[in-house]
Amino acid sequence: MGFGTRGVTKLEYAKMLAGCLTYLVHKQRDRVGLVAFDSDIVAHVPPSAKHMDVVLHVLDRLTPAAPGSLRAPLHKMAEHFGRRGLLVLISDLYEDPDAVLEAVGPLRFRGNDLIVFHLLDPAELDFTFDTPSAFEDLESGVQIPVVPDKLAEQYRTLVRAHINGLQERFSANRIDYTMVNTSSPLDHALFSYLTTRERLTRVR
Amino acid sequence: MSFLTPLFLLGLAGLAVPVIIHLIQRERKNVVQFPSLMFLQRIPYQSVQRRRIRNWPLLLLRLAALALIVAAFARPFFRRPALAAAGAGGPREVVILIDNSYSMGYGDRWSRATAAAREAIGQVGPSDRASIVFFSSSAEVALKSTPDRSRLNGAVSAKKPGSGATRYGPALKLAGSLASESSLPRREVVMISDFQRAGWQGAEGVRLPDGVMLTPRAIGEDNTSNLSVTPVSLQRSTFSEQDRVTVTGGVTNHSPSAASNVELSLEVDGRSVQTERVSVEPNSSASVTFAPFTPAARNTRGTVRIAADKLPLDNAFHFVVSPKESIRIIIAERPGATRDASLYLSRALALGETPPFDIATRSVDALSTDDLQRASVVILNDAPVAQLTGERLAAFVSKGGGLLIGLGSRATWPAGAGSTDILGATLGQPVDRTTGQAARLGALEYGDPIFEAFRAPRSGDFSGARFYSYRTVTPAKDAQVLARFDDGAPALVARRVGNGRVLLWTSSLDLQGNDLPLKAVFLPFVHRMVTTLASYTERPSWLTVGDVLEAGRAAPVPGTTRQVQPRVVLAPSGERVTLDGEGPDVLELTEQGFYEVRAQGRDAAPPMTVASNVDLSESDLSPMDPQEVVAGVLGRADGAVPAGTNVSTTDLEQERNQRVWWYLLFAGVVILGMETLVGNRISRSGPVQV
Repeated sequence: MGFGTRGVTKLEYAKMLAGCLTYLVHKQRDRVGLVAFDSDIVAHVPPSAKHMDVVLHVLDRLTPAAPGSLRAPLHKMAEHFGRRGLLVLISDLYEDPDAVLEAVGPLRFRGNDLIVFHLLDPAELDFTFDTPSAFEDLESGVQIPVVPDKLAEQYRTLVRAHINGLQERFSANRIDYTMVNTSSPLDHALFSYLTTRERLTRVR
Repeated sequence: MSFLTPLFLLGLAGLAVPVIIHLIQRERKNVVQFPSLMFLQRIPYQSVQRRRIRNWPLLLLRLAALALIVAAFARPFFRRPALAAAGAGGPREVVILIDNSYSMGYGDRWSRATAAAREAIGQVGPSDRASIVFFSSSAEVALKSTPDRSRLNGAVSAKKPGSGATRYGPALKLAGSLASESSLPRREVVMISDFQRAGWQGAEGVRLPDGVMLTPRAIGEDNTSNLSVTPVSLQRSTFSEQDRVTVTGGVTNHSPSAASNVELSLEVDGRSVQTERVSVEPNSSASVTFAPFTPAARNTRGTVRIAADKLPLDNAFHFVVSPKESIRIIIAERPGATRDASLYLSRALALGETPPFDIATRSVDALSTDDLQRASVVILNDAPVAQLTGERLAAFVSKGGGLLIGLGSRATWPAGAGSTDILGATLGQPVDRTTGQAARLGALEYGDPIFEAFRAPRSGDFSGARFYSYRTVTPAKDAQVLARFDDGAPALVARRVGNGRVLLWTSSLDLQGNDLPLKAVFLPFVHRMVTTLASYTERPSWLTVGDVLEAGRAAPVPGTTRQVQPRVVLAPSGERVTLDGEGPDVLELTEQGFYEVRAQGRDAAPPMTVASNVDLSESDLSPMDPQEVVAGVLGRADGAVPAGTNVSTTDLEQERNQRVWWYLLFAGVVILGMETLVGNRISRSGPVQV
């Protein structure tokens, strides 16, 4: 999540998005909490109507550290949710779509409503590199030599397939999925949240 | 195979460069941090950990081209023996150079030289051609490119050593020219000489053509001894109104041992007048001053001589002396002139010694025909000239006399175009510069003999003289203005009339119109004007063999016509050469002794005798290494060249003849073209990964 090519990293974008959501929830007098995770849960703020400041404070202090995964922290997180509510997952979802769905499944089973924001940098979407270089995995540190001209098209195809796979699977499981380009303004993501909140209010 | 510039082979190390690039170079370490390699790892892409050679033919083509180009720069050649290098077979063009300078008359050198020449002629095959060239200070072709050995031997037998000094440059230049004219495949120059050090002045820009072999054959001895006389010194003096000449002669000992009691005698007109004995240390000189003698007549012949030795030509030194001959000058003044009217002029001329001036002063009215016949130069010093006198003077000038006219305020000349029209200008009105700034000489014609002596800095300053009055003149078309005043008016006008010359000085020759007589430059200026008008030239007492005798410039003959006359030159050997004036009026001196020049016809000038001596630098018989000559004209010599052995052709010549580098370079360029084609074809078929 520490990757960014347009002045803001995906983590910073996620923190701004989460902050905005926290503010909106607080203004609607709902309770708001926060769980931050990489391969494990690194920060947890229990839901409360008075925890907006704590949540913002924890968000401010978050930094990219260890390699991340979805399954273990999300399953652990599901065990602690006693009351149903609205869960917002913000991640770059660098796992197989089936694995992602399997990871978020426990959150959905307890009757929670789930909104997934899939954050991607424009470079991850368009792969605009042109110089043959050694590409290093930010999380694992593994390097491989890459000639961008030769595989950019294949890369973009794989990314589109990945997004489509996620979209199909989340849709089939009635999970709201929004792919967010970090070069786009926050309103798109916030509009997606408000739409879901309105729908839930009507249902209730 | 050898290489002319083997250091270029270091360039072969460059062959390793493409190999190293191909085998060692890794991907550039440009690291891009990316969130996840999940998708990239799924793409079946051939990442390159170490480059491998994919196109061996391409690499080999590049290496071969590079190796060929480097080898071409190293200029390889196949070393072959000299004779083989000159051509494995085929007819030869042989140029035999034979030194016939007078040092070849030392001992039996000439017989050995002719024997060596006959040996070289004996090696001339039926299909070969040979030329015979004799050389000393110059070179002459005796027989040109013939296969006839009997004629070649005859040409050698007919020649004897001459009187010239050795010079290798002209002979080698002529040999190179003869060799280059030949179409035969093998060309060789054989040089037969005593190889005197004195004759070698460097290659003098001579370079034998490519492929020409030079074979020196030295016939000199290691140990030589020679005595030669030195050039004499002549000191003139006057005793009892007679000219006396004191001769100082000398002896040079060109040998490692001292020479004692060498008899040195002075001969005058063939008679020995004095003999002295001197001792000379090794490689040094000694001199003797003889008692003075009086040359009784013109062209008195003198010789300083020592006893004959192995090289007789340098044992005598000839010279010619004559009694001093004065230039007869008549200064013509206006009637009734004061005694000191020509004071400055006559005093200046009285100081002349080389030549002395015989001055007579006349009234211009009293100028008779007899006076003019005896005179060489007439000076009209501010004198009015009547018609009759003007005609006499015109006739005098046309016969070769000289006329100097000083234009004071009273000078006149018969007007009109007629027999008296010999002045170079038309006389005009006087110009008065006594008020205001006086005139000065502004422009001088330094190319004329009169002012030539004043050309150098500090050799005479005319600008200091002030001119208060002068006459305006209008120069004639065929007249030459030699000096002008600062306002552009002519100051000195010259004109040739017949065989004589007229000088018109537009100011006075005394203090009446200028202060030039008070200046230091006045005396040499007057002397130069008079000697020029008298056509006086100082003859040297001797010349050197090889010099040119200008027989047309005989001693001045006052009052006689100087039209071109046939002249007969009698050489020391008795040979007569006629110079009729139609051909060149010069003769190159080729013998030692006295040349006599006689003019023919009425009013003929008296005979003239010229002494001719050999170039004494030839007396030094010190030899040089023939290898120096070979190296000088071929650029490089291989090893020592003993006398009578062939000189191998140089590596440079062999390489030039073979020109292997050209083929290597051509092959390299062709392979580079092929590499380009192969490279383009590979690049079109896929990514280029060599």
